[in-house]
Amino acid sequence: MIEWSEQHLMIRDAVRRFVEAEIVPNLEELEHGDMPPYDLLRKLFATFGMDEMARSRFEREIAREKAGEAKAPKTSSSEEEELVPRGRVGAKGDAAAMTMIPIIELCRYCPGMVTAMGVSMGLTGGAVMSKGTLAQKERWGLDLLTLDKIGAWAITEPGSGSDAFGGMKSSARRKEGGGYILNGNKTFITNGPHADTIIFICKLEEEGVPMRERKILNFVLDRGMKGLVQSKAMRKMGLHSSPTGELFLSDVEVETDRLLGESEEQPSRAGAKETFSTERSGVAAMALGIVERCLELSVKYAKERVQFERPIGEFQLVQLKLAKMEVARTNIQNLVFRHIELVDCGRRPTLAESSAMKLYSAQAAMEVALEAVQIYGGNGYMSEYQVEQLCRDAKVLQIYAGTDEIQVSSIARDLLAG
Amino acid sequence: MKVMVCLKQVPHQDAKLDINSDGTWIQEDNIKFEINSYDTYALEEALRIKDADADTEVVVVSIGPDRVTQALRTALGMGADRAVHVNDAEAFGSDALCVAKVLAAVAKAESPDLIFTGLMTDDGNSSAVPPMLAELIDVPSATGVLHTEAANGSLKVERELEGGAIEVVELPKPCLASIQTGANQVRYASLKGIMQAKKKPIDVKTAADLGVSDVASKATIDKVYSPPKNATADILSGSTDEIVSGLMGKIKELGVL
Ligand SMILES: Cc1cc2nc3c(=O)[nH]c(=O)nc-3n(C[C@H](O)[C@H](O)[C@H](O)COP(=O)(O)OP(=O)(O)OC[C@H]3O[C@@H](n4cnc5c(N)ncnc54)[C@H](O)[C@@H]3O)c2cc1C
Repeated sequence: MIEWSEQHLMIRDAVRRFVEAEIVPNLEELEHGDMPPYDLLRKLFATFGMDEMARSRFEREIAREKAGEAKAPKTSSSEEEELVPRGRVGAKGDAAAMTMIPIIELCRYCPGMVTAMGVSMGLTGGAVMSKGTLAQKERWGLDLLTLDKIGAWAITEPGSGSDAFGGMKSSARRKEGGGYILNGNKTFITNGPHADTIIFICKLEEEGVPMRERKILNFVLDRGMKGLVQSKAMRKMGLHSSPTGELFLSDVEVETDRLLGESEEQPSRAGAKETFSTERSGVAAMALGIVERCLELSVKYAKERVQFERPIGEFQLVQLKLAKMEVARTNIQNLVFRHIELVDCGRRPTLAESSAMKLYSAQAAMEVALEAVQIYGGNGYMSEYQVEQLCRDAKVLQIYAGTDEIQVSSIARDLLAG
Repeated sequence: MKVMVCLKQVPHQDAKLDINSDGTWIQEDNIKFEINSYDTYALEEALRIKDADADTEVVVVSIGPDRVTQALRTALGMGADRAVHVNDAEAFGSDALCVAKVLAAVAKAESPDLIFTGLMTDDGNSSAVPPMLAELIDVPSATGVLHTEAANGSLKVERELEGGAIEVVELPKPCLASIQTGANQVRYASLKGIMQAKKKPIDVKTAADLGVSDVASKATIDKVYSPPKNATADILSGSTDEIVSGLMGKIKELGVL
């Protein structure tokens, strides 16, 4: 894939029109007011039929599972796929592009909305769909995939971030006669304050098993359960349109029907790797949106702003910034294209590959956004100008979904293992 | 029921327009195009009929060069069933009557129950094509329509008159309505719609295929230019009261009220 196809561009234009008409006028309320992002996200879903698409995908998957078929995707090359012209992708690639394009477009203005959407649908909905039993998928999965319900996915704790499993203190104690009692505190949880459905990740208490070796279990909780407290949104540097909060669990009683997979024998650590891999490629699309917009704004400003009787774009130091931004944009776009093409071939990127993609994109987005502020000078430091927000928002890409340092170690571990 | 929607692709609202080297039109290279805003309301009005009655076929028609495919695909993505693209150098950019002649030939071939057009185009601004088209195919028409209601044998429309008055007219089918902006809220193409649009047919035709000849413009454009900027401006100064009375004096002097 070397460029977006005509259909991709049509999707881009349609989503861009929506973002400019529906989201931009609400940006002030989303970023600096009390407006949660969910109703606008639902409107986006309804407008483009994304909820309907999620529903029919869900129904197909459930029907397949009920028929007892394996989940293996069909490998037959249908007629349509054979007709795919060179340099274009087929149906699977198009599906991946359709996920990436709205992320890119939303991030041009509001990376927070993508975070709220991605955590609810991708992480929380994704966890139910990949680890849940049929009954659990039907109970929680569909509502999360259509955004009818808002989801939160809680692994981080005050004492365990990068070392998510190692330092984890949240616990599940077996109840007599079945079921569990859950305890623990979670922090930095996206959608935490508003979530209807929460995935709580914790360790099984087992006599004699050292903390580091205990089984990791995922439970599904509903808002309002006894013993569960969802904090107010925390104040933070950027990403104001994505509410982030804490969760406190004290003796929350659950039955086995809330244990994802309804079995303690879950390959949870391996499953988490898969989740990380999807999350990390999404970050590249987010970075692309931020970089595209920062570059666009910077070029415009460099042409308009006159100092020393010349547009500042005529100064070589400003030109260098613009050129570096364009290099970053091309590189990230190529990474996104490559990801779409990988999906199209039915190949999943390795953890090291997706880590490299995330590391580069996050760093590039941060650098580009900082340079955009620099090109705007004092204006760039003022909230009235969009680069100020994008710069604060870009920083998070280097922190969540695995910090830069953690990506580095994933890549290096993979290199050294060979 | 069959609804034909005529749409034109025009320069994007945000496109920076320069005049071409011989000063007879705008420079069309490297600018973005979009569907004429009035026509999007006409298309939406047609799609609403289809929403209410799934048996409805919506056919979009456009005259223009290759780039027009994109506008037609967008319309197909929004829900139109098929498209006719008259790709004919003579007919494109012709005068209103010749454009109407070409559209009339398409209408004769399609025999739609309803024809919806925009009230005018963002670029040409003539508003002449819709009534001419109606005349050429001998059907009743209404212009400046804000609301339509399709009944069995007729179309009831609300027209916008000067001063905000509304006129209600009933037209027997087949008939034509030219739609005013703001008549409805235009939908976005859904993602599924866009992906399906590539499988929907676009029929490409020349004027000769449609059996019409002599479609080149009878009128020629001598010159296109931007009016020179007028440099005279009176700046009133003094206290607020002085400025207000000065302004009142000016208004009286010019007799503009
Ligand atoms: C806006 C936002 C939303 C979030 N949403 C969620 C959510 O929905 N759910 C959830 O569970 N979590 C969420 N998080 C938490 C996020 O995943 C963690 O912040 C992240 O994993 C880092 O953990 P930490 O903050 O504890 O930092 P730490 O792990 O304490 O890291 C501190 C510093 O030490 C470095 N470091 C740590 N270990 C190593 C090492 N081995 N080698 C080198 N350097 C190291 C780190 O890279 C970092 O620079 C969110 C965070 C933010 C900011």
